[in-house]
Amino acid sequence: MSTEQSSLSQILPLELIDKCIGSRIWVLLSGDKEFVGTLIGFDDFVNMVLEDVTEYDVDGSETQRKKILLSGNHITMLVPGGEGPKSVAVN
Amino acid sequence: MSTETTTTSTEISAPSRFLNEITATSVIVKLYSGEEYHGILESIDGYMNVTMEDTKEYVHGKLIKTYNDVFIRGNNVLYISNV
Repeated sequence: MSTEQSSLSQILPLELIDKCIGSRIWVLLSGDKEFVGTLIGFDDFVNMVLEDVTEYDVDGSETQRKKILLSGNHITMLVPGGEGPKSVAVN
Repeated sequence: MSTETTTTSTEISAPSRFLNEITATSVIVKLYSGEEYHGILESIDGYMNVTMEDTKEYVHGKLIKTYNDVFIRGNNVLYISNV
């Protein structure tokens, strides 16, 4: 029934995030809020623990936090590397 | 397949460990609506329902109110930060 041997060695979505543990990550939420920090870990709901965090608000303000537990509820996208919103040219 | 590997590398998940670390310490709870609650974290559950003591309510960085005891329903919580 299962033909796993022949299938491509697929990386599951959460495996990709698991590989990011210990490195910087950029987290985008619905509603234009963004976080950049070092990923300490996460759970099955993608609640995330981040360290040395910069919070980017809708109004452009930035807040620094040492360590946070971010609710997974409104997370839309995770970008490994974590350059943050300033790395992307906005047109 | 019936066996599902857990996504975290440790037995106790990082979020749970962090919550154990910060209970009974000073924390900042930020809500989606923008309010921040600064206080002593009394307890927290899996829904991120929170109870806090000696709580100060800030909106846009301005102190609005103080409370002795508060309960915050978990669905409103954006993040919980240590201080």
